[in-house]
Amino acid sequence: MLNLLKAVFILNLIKVEYAIEAIKLGSTTVGVKTSEGVVLAVEKRVQSPLLESSSIEKIMEIDSHLGCAMSGLTADARTMIDHARVTAQNHHFTYDEPIKVESITQAVCDLALRFGESVHDEDALMVGYKLPPSRPFGVALLIGGIDELGPQLYHTDPSGTFVQYDAKAIGSGSEAAQAELQDRWYKQMTLAEAHSLALRVLKQVMEEKLDQHNVQLAQVTKQKGFEILSDAELKEVIDITEAAMAASAPTAAA
Amino acid sequence: MSHYTRTQSQQHPTQRQFNPYTENGGTILAIAGADFSVIAGDTRQSEGYSIQTRYAPKVFKLTDKAVLAVNGFAADGNMFVKKVKQRLEWYRHAHSKDMPLRSIARLIQTMLYAQRFFPYYVYNILGGIEEDGTGAVYSFDPVGSYEREACRAAGSAQSLVQPFLDNQIYFKNQTPVLGTSHPTHLPLRHVVQLVIDSFTSATERHIEVGDGVELYIILARGRGTQGLDSFKDVQELTPHAEGERLFVLRRELKKD
Repeated sequence: MLNLLKAVFILNLIKVEYAIEAIKLGSTTVGVKTSEGVVLAVEKRVQSPLLESSSIEKIMEIDSHLGCAMSGLTADARTMIDHARVTAQNHHFTYDEPIKVESITQAVCDLALRFGESVHDEDALMVGYKLPPSRPFGVALLIGGIDELGPQLYHTDPSGTFVQYDAKAIGSGSEAAQAELQDRWYKQMTLAEAHSLALRVLKQVMEEKLDQHNVQLAQVTKQKGFEILSDAELKEVIDITEAAMAASAPTAAA
Repeated sequence: MSHYTRTQSQQHPTQRQFNPYTENGGTILAIAGADFSVIAGDTRQSEGYSIQTRYAPKVFKLTDKAVLAVNGFAADGNMFVKKVKQRLEWYRHAHSKDMPLRSIARLIQTMLYAQRFFPYYVYNILGGIEEDGTGAVYSFDPVGSYEREACRAAGSAQSLVQPFLDNQIYFKNQTPVLGTSHPTHLPLRHVVQLVIDSFTSATERHIEVGDGVELYIILARGRGTQGLDSFKDVQELTPHAEGERLFVLRRELKKD
């Protein structure tokens, strides 16, 4: 019996490790923190010309001061974001204040950690109580937001671990993207510069040419909270980024 | 029917009922200043004409900047304070900070309303310092309706004290001298004196008030102790002078 438990436990650990590996096959997602706010950017893989690109949803609002970008099995993220939204609303209801970015990240990770919990737990058997999931969430999240401590960016993975970052890339192009972020991110960066940096990093790891259909950009600011940039705003940022990259390219070649 | 005689109870149906509540008397009171807050309560606990104890505190320190006064059914009050303190500790662990005053106020509402159909038989008054550094008082009814106010009295001598406060704090029924206006906030020394006077007067006219009074005084971050120096035996409860400072002032009241 003890050996069986041990085997199940080890199997669970292996499943989590596979899930973490699976994340690395997801589309590239970038988050950048500045003193003005947090920028989230995702690559949308438009597999077919007949696909409506606006139906791909990879950046979602958790609360008016919290945003989330995802990479991996995005269907799994729906459960997590649903949980995050309920947690945020409950906090506002009970404490008359917005929930902190770290607290919402912790709440999401608590959910990820329920995988591997025994089905024989007392409360797992309670009527109306959801059973713990049989497999880990196959999705990594970048949670960006603003609270009394200022703008913050967190990364969560299927193991339920979370870490805070100034700038972070996840997904298939994450290695190259993270290196680029490390080179180019600096503390005094403006929000507009963060927009360009996020797109620049995505452009470098994407196969197709950047346009407003295959990327999505969102931000969380003190003044306006969470917002996904409109097609027009996105187009403008793309143009600025591409112009800047074109201008710097010949000098780099020379 | 004629073969047996009815017992007393068969002739007159009687009703018996268990009453889970008791009224334990006493009075609480809080006044907010611009950068301080004073929360006070007497220490007598009674049931009917008998005094159960001369020292049962009704005012409790929650955090460095929040104090809660509870009046009504003492058992419910003590249990409620215990539960609030537990929630504050959980919050501290979950969010790594002390709960702000307005959050405590909202929490108390949800905790009271959760007992809507078997209420805690208590009137709560919460005093302290807000995040913006202003003095604040929140008052509650037993099922959680709440409001931020400048001053509030509750308990058995509410009907004696509140009109006095309305007159002295809100200047009701007073007309200012031509060309002048009433102040919106009173100085600390004046407020502490009003609170002590309220309790000595309530002790004179209400049998359930007396024995002793405890005043908790919370000063906003960076505020000096001016106004407090003129009172003797003021005891500081905060170990350090930075941040909000909490003091307690105890006075004897008549014991008859």
